[in-house]
Amino acid sequence: MTDVTLTVNGEERTASVPPETTLLKMLREDLNLTGAKLGCDVGDCGACTVLVDGIAVNACLMLAGQADGKKIETIEGLSTLEEYHPIQKAFEEVAALQCGFCGPGMIMSTKALIDQGEDLSKQEIKDALSGNLCRCTGYTKIIDGVIDAYEDITGKKVPETNPREAQSAA
Amino acid sequence: MRHRGKGVGCMWYPIGFTVLANPSAATVKINEDGTATLLTGTVETGQGSLTVLGQIAAEELGISTDDVHVVSADTDTTPMDTGAIASRTTYVTGNAIKLAAENAKQILFEVAAPMLDVRPDQLEAVDRKIQVQYFPQRCLPIADVALQAQFVMGRPPIGSASYNPPTVAMDSETGQGKPFSTYVYATQCAEVEVDDETGQVDVIYMSAAHDCGTAINPMLVEGQIEGGISMGIGFALQEEMLFDDNGQQLNPNLTNYIMPTSLDMPEIDVDIVENFDPTGPFGAKGVGEPTAVPTAAAICNAIHDAVGVRITSLPATAEKVLKAIKARDGGEQKALPAAE
Repeated sequence: MTDVTLTVNGEERTASVPPETTLLKMLREDLNLTGAKLGCDVGDCGACTVLVDGIAVNACLMLAGQADGKKIETIEGLSTLEEYHPIQKAFEEVAALQCGFCGPGMIMSTKALIDQGEDLSKQEIKDALSGNLCRCTGYTKIIDGVIDAYEDITGKKVPETNPREAQSAA
Repeated sequence: MRHRGKGVGCMWYPIGFTVLANPSAATVKINEDGTATLLTGTVETGQGSLTVLGQIAAEELGISTDDVHVVSADTDTTPMDTGAIASRTTYVTGNAIKLAAENAKQILFEVAAPMLDVRPDQLEAVDRKIQVQYFPQRCLPIADVALQAQFVMGRPPIGSASYNPPTVAMDSETGQGKPFSTYVYATQCAEVEVDDETGQVDVIYMSAAHDCGTAINPMLVEGQIEGGISMGIGFALQEEMLFDDNGQQLNPNLTNYIMPTSLDMPEIDVDIVENFDPTGPFGAKGVGEPTAVPTAAAICNAIHDAVGVRITSLPATAEKVLKAIKARDGGEQKALPAAE
């Protein structure tokens, strides 16, 4: 057994887990944080995305021991009892999610992207979400939600592009 | 070199089961505070059906959607429903709910009529009030009427109803019949870029015009259409289950069963072509499965427009398209006059 101490959503949590335990399994089963979802368990779908020291990672591909001493953010840390996080609010307003299984991962990937503080284009948003699969929505409204959240949080604008011309130039 | 092409795909699609019974039942209860409780057996899978069904009940009762408490999908307590399949929820369950709400409202009208000195058929339910048609100032709050109905008249305003789409069985001799109660129609257009050196197909733009009857919740209709297009793009270009001779799936995970990501999605224009259907609840039909139907056809037609090859088995992977391009070029060379 390995003792792992994480700072999860600002709170220090410790658990004693077998060394092969993934970060996802520890979050879900030892810390009872079931927001990060177990989808494919091999790093394809992104449903388990959490932030480790601010970087979006697939929690199913990281051993709990590797995360020892690191700062973890999960979907549970975003909203308060009073209100949603601006990303969650934006997603709700445009009906970005349907079944919602990809939602925690999508929202955490979005947070990692926006927290970088860089200027974003629509293509960069698509790139950042490409590791999060969604079967329901066709991503269109999710991308709209990310744009709204980015503009709301940073006060910047995502430049308008004509995709039919942009694609051809690339 | 990359070639641009445009293609069109059209479709019609039926709502509900083919001839077979697929009933829905619903119960609507108007509470003494003017809110309503809707019991339905259908399942919310994220498509927003409970929102739409709540809107249907609210519209019929003249109250706000926020006032409708929807209780769903509990076989112990909710009325029977065939389920969230066959693109039938809005149409079939919606009709059952509209009828149930009508029945509950009728009790309110009968209770309110003597209070307003009119006949029940002169009343309407609007803006949380029961009012006399053409005389909106003669009105009573629904909450007051519901309270009167329950505690003075002894008639709790509850309505139940069921709906099964009317069909005519197909004649086994002639094949004639009316297998479905209603149909929806759609056209999608695709613009693609095909690389003639690799066979890679990129979908750049899709426009989708869908007739779904009355769009009760246009934002949810858009979500359904955009989702259907992503499934259609996967069907057209990427997704294929491969099996070996023993029936073992060769690509049982998302590493090699490829489905669209955010990078594969084109810009989408959704055009909701509203078309009142007199048999549907407030003219609505449905929009679930049909959204994925014409996408692959439109994309394959666009590939033909771009590079002149017909792909007749899906998915149109880069390998398949490149093979077809090479076969075409080979064929063209053979058509040249033989060397003299």
